[in-house]
Amino acid sequence: MTTFLRIWRTGFKNIFRNAWLSTAATAIMVITILIMTFFAFSTIFVRTQLAQVRGKIDLSIFLSDDATQKQIQDLQTKINGINNVSSVIFVSKGDALKKLENSSEEGKKLAKSAEDIGNPLPASFEVKLVNIDSIGQINSTIRSLEEAKIITDTSFDNRDDNRRGVVENVISISNSVSKIGLILSVLFLIIALLIIFNTIRMAIFTRREEVEIMKLVGATKWFVRGPFLVEGTLYGVFGALISLAIIIPFNRAVSPFLTSKLGAGPTLDYFASHFFLLAGGMFAIGIFIGVVSSWLALMRYLKI
Amino acid sequence: MILLDRVSVMYANKTVALSGVSLHINPKEFVTIVGSSGAGKSTLIRLLIKEEVPTSGKIIVGSIDYDTIDKANIPHLRRRIGVVFQDFKLLPNLTVYENVAFALEVSGVKSKEIKRAVPKILQLVGLSEKMHNYPSELSGGEKQRTAIARALVRNPKILIADEPTGNLDPKNSWDIIELLLKINRFGTTVLLTTHNKEIVDALKKRVITINRGRVVKDEKVGKYSL
Repeated sequence: MTTFLRIWRTGFKNIFRNAWLSTAATAIMVITILIMTFFAFSTIFVRTQLAQVRGKIDLSIFLSDDATQKQIQDLQTKINGINNVSSVIFVSKGDALKKLENSSEEGKKLAKSAEDIGNPLPASFEVKLVNIDSIGQINSTIRSLEEAKIITDTSFDNRDDNRRGVVENVISISNSVSKIGLILSVLFLIIALLIIFNTIRMAIFTRREEVEIMKLVGATKWFVRGPFLVEGTLYGVFGALISLAIIIPFNRAVSPFLTSKLGAGPTLDYFASHFFLLAGGMFAIGIFIGVVSSWLALMRYLKI
Repeated sequence: MILLDRVSVMYANKTVALSGVSLHINPKEFVTIVGSSGAGKSTLIRLLIKEEVPTSGKIIVGSIDYDTIDKANIPHLRRRIGVVFQDFKLLPNLTVYENVAFALEVSGVKSKEIKRAVPKILQLVGLSEKMHNYPSELSGGEKQRTAIARALVRNPKILIADEPTGNLDPKNSWDIIELLLKINRFGTTVLLTTHNKEIVDALKKRVITINRGRVVKDEKVGKYSL
């Protein structure tokens, strides 16, 4: 126990002995951790965004008011049988009205006047797809069904290409952002490893006299190595602390913008609810880099 | 206590540092090893602290056979052999007290024990007043006494002094030799290497002369002659 504390104390002191090198080491650690956090953020953002977009785009099949119960049922069974269709939900004229009523204040008023003129809203099927990419193909399959004569219109025929284009753009931009994030993360991980490695190497050289005396007076291998590993670990811990000190206020400043302009609300919520996981991950990255690079430096330059 | 049996050290470039050296040093002996530079004195010392391994031959110190000692036990071996050098090897950023305490800290001695042992040993070497000075504030003799205190603080069975007076004036040199004799009287085996003829002749102790890696003379009461 006494030895353990002494090793930590020595490691701590060493950081302050070579202030400039330690600053550089901590700075590169901070940059690496921030980039990796940003990468994690963008990846999760893309995932939730895709899930949201996919959830939103489904196919609505509008039905004629003249359709009989049987015709509707037959069509539903047929659509259900099509490959790539995950579910078909029937929305009656009454349901449609209720939906409109519950959608918003505006919708409530509209529903009221619609009711007054005898509910012109059509009944419909809401078709959910397994893979959104096949939406056009499924639309035409449904259209060509024998039972399709009760269909008046579909959301795909009526689609707003412009809006879909925007959604696709968001996805592709986010995808490339997270790809760049991955590349940068790996790059900075390597840079950080090299810089910490070099810092520990310098520490070994500046303290070689001390190491020699330590060996001479009978210090064990671990007593000699320990402080260097502690030093590397502490760069990781400081790096993570500083990164958190940057990220928390930064997040507070930009999250309104991210939420309103990019719809990143769910992602931010995800991070907020997994704060300790995020913070733990940052510490883990920092300590990992610190320990691995100082260990490599010790193996290479500290012969005991 | 210290037993060397036909020990030879040869380097890759075929230089022979020691050749067939056999020695037996008893507990509580005071032995001076003399020899010109490059005769093999330093190699002998490096062998004893296991900084180097012999090409052939056997070394036994106490009950430890150097051939079979576990690598993990080398630190423990070094704790039983105190060493002081010509260039003191003190840490410049630590005070006298801290330099001595350092030797105990690395071997996991409790802080309470360190606080008790260090002042005592500093008193023995006569450095109580300079306890909180840094090495740069000390004279050569005081530095060497600090080094001796560091070597002694763990009660080693053997103290090796490798040219401890090499950097000191005659007055300080004698102070150090007196200190070594005092330590020897307390029961520690002392192994001294020196170039100082005056000291060797005045000691009237066992002298081992090494030349070109061989023991050429080993006298119970020896004189300096090369």
